[in-house]
Amino acid sequence: MDFERAEQPEQPNRSEQDGEFERELKQAMERRPAPPSLKRRILQKRSTLRTERVQSYTMWWQRLAASVLLVGVIAGGYSWRQVEDRRKGEEAKQQVLTALRITNRALNDMNRRLAARNREEK
Amino acid sequence: MAEKWHPDFERLVDEHQSMVFSLAWRMTSDRGLAEEVAQDVFLELDRHMDRIESPEHAMFWLRRVAMNRSADALRRRKVRGVDLWVEIEENHGAPAEERSSPLSARLEQLLSTLPEAQRAALVLRYQEDLTPEEIAATVDAPVATVKSNLQRGLKLLRSKATTHLKEYIRGL
Amino acid sequence: MKNWVAALFLVMVGLIIPAVAQNSQLPLPSPVEKELAAKASNVTEVTLGKNMLAFAAKFMNGKGEDDAATRRLIEGLDGIYVRDYEFDKEGQYSTDDIQKLRSYFETSDWSPIVRERDKKSGESTDVMMKIVNGETHGMFILDVEPKELSIVLILGPVKMEDLSKLGGIGGLSVLGDIEKESNKDKAKDKTKDKTKKDGDE
Repeated sequence: MDFERAEQPEQPNRSEQDGEFERELKQAMERRPAPPSLKRRILQKRSTLRTERVQSYTMWWQRLAASVLLVGVIAGGYSWRQVEDRRKGEEAKQQVLTALRITNRALNDMNRRLAARNREEK
Repeated sequence: MAEKWHPDFERLVDEHQSMVFSLAWRMTSDRGLAEEVAQDVFLELDRHMDRIESPEHAMFWLRRVAMNRSADALRRRKVRGVDLWVEIEENHGAPAEERSSPLSARLEQLLSTLPEAQRAALVLRYQEDLTPEEIAATVDAPVATVKSNLQRGLKLLRSKATTHLKEYIRGL
Repeated sequence: MKNWVAALFLVMVGLIIPAVAQNSQLPLPSPVEKELAAKASNVTEVTLGKNMLAFAAKFMNGKGEDDAATRRLIEGLDGIYVRDYEFDKEGQYSTDDIQKLRSYFETSDWSPIVRERDKKSGESTDVMMKIVNGETHGMFILDVEPKELSIVLILGPVKMEDLSKLGGIGGLSVLGDIEKESNKDKAKDKTKDKTKKDGDE
């Protein structure tokens, strides 16, 4: 069976019945007109979907902005906490050094007095 | 340098809605379902307008998507367990005034009884006047498979039609 | 009756206050300290509990030896209590005040290691160690000068070898002398009695 385009000349050995059948089939398969309301419904739906897409897009950006802001606040809080901890830690360290400095001075004084006493005893 | 083609959506709807609707109708044998499929096809076109490069590309794209969406709709309907034969009898209703001949009308009905792949091949061949190569590109199948489907589909349709014709003649 | 109640009250106070110094918790400031602070021109007060010392140790992570040595010293300590009072002129405190301070911190757990008195200058040094099962669990230093008074209380396992390495903070290697003095004093009972007698005056 030859499936080339219909406008090409029929093969001499193809039965007339086949040709007739295919003609009937082609006629049966003519395009049907679309319902009159189809275009209107398509355009309406298209408009609705576009509005929803814009709203969804806007909402997505809003959510993203809110997430970024939240992450920023948390990160900022965490950074502040780290800075604060560092400050307190340095403060505590300085207090320790102050205490040890005073201790050292007291011991130096003691040592000096002990040395003086030893000299006197000699 | 050729100007870039800027498709106009409404114009494309005007030019091709009958083609899309007919393809969907002949594949699903359900007018209501065919309208839904046609609407979905054009809404999908709207989302992909930037990919359409030419009028020929638009037509090729619409045929391809119409066939795919029709196949999806048929699968969904089978899953729902609808009796296809009853649907054909109830829904395959081109209005009486549209039928050019009783045989044509009957052939259209008998077409819906063919297996999906054979039906698709015959619809694209006789409605859209495509060659087997063009049909193969549209349904994404090998050319040999398409030719086989065309042969078998035509044979089966002829057999069914012959039976009907005898009954028709007997009825006259 | 009233005298009996008052006496009982004083005994109880006398027992409670030193008892605070007995355990590993840092003491509350004694009443004498408040008086000294009121008269001093410059006051330095450092009170660091176990948790704060551990926190401070985290920030001693520099590559220098001092940081490492200081960290080793304070790790494991239960607390550091230091008071330093500087006065504009002499005579801002009495020997009675000093005795009260000694009594406040000295309990049965504490062993005097050094008691050095200089009658001429009025300077003195008291060093006490808290020894539990042969291990050091605290050190107390009272350093008295005419215009400056320092109290140092370190609670916990004081590591003498680590103290001796703190050269960068002004020669804490002198602490090694304390142990020598401790042994020297134990051997010479007579010298110890003489020193104590001087301190009581």
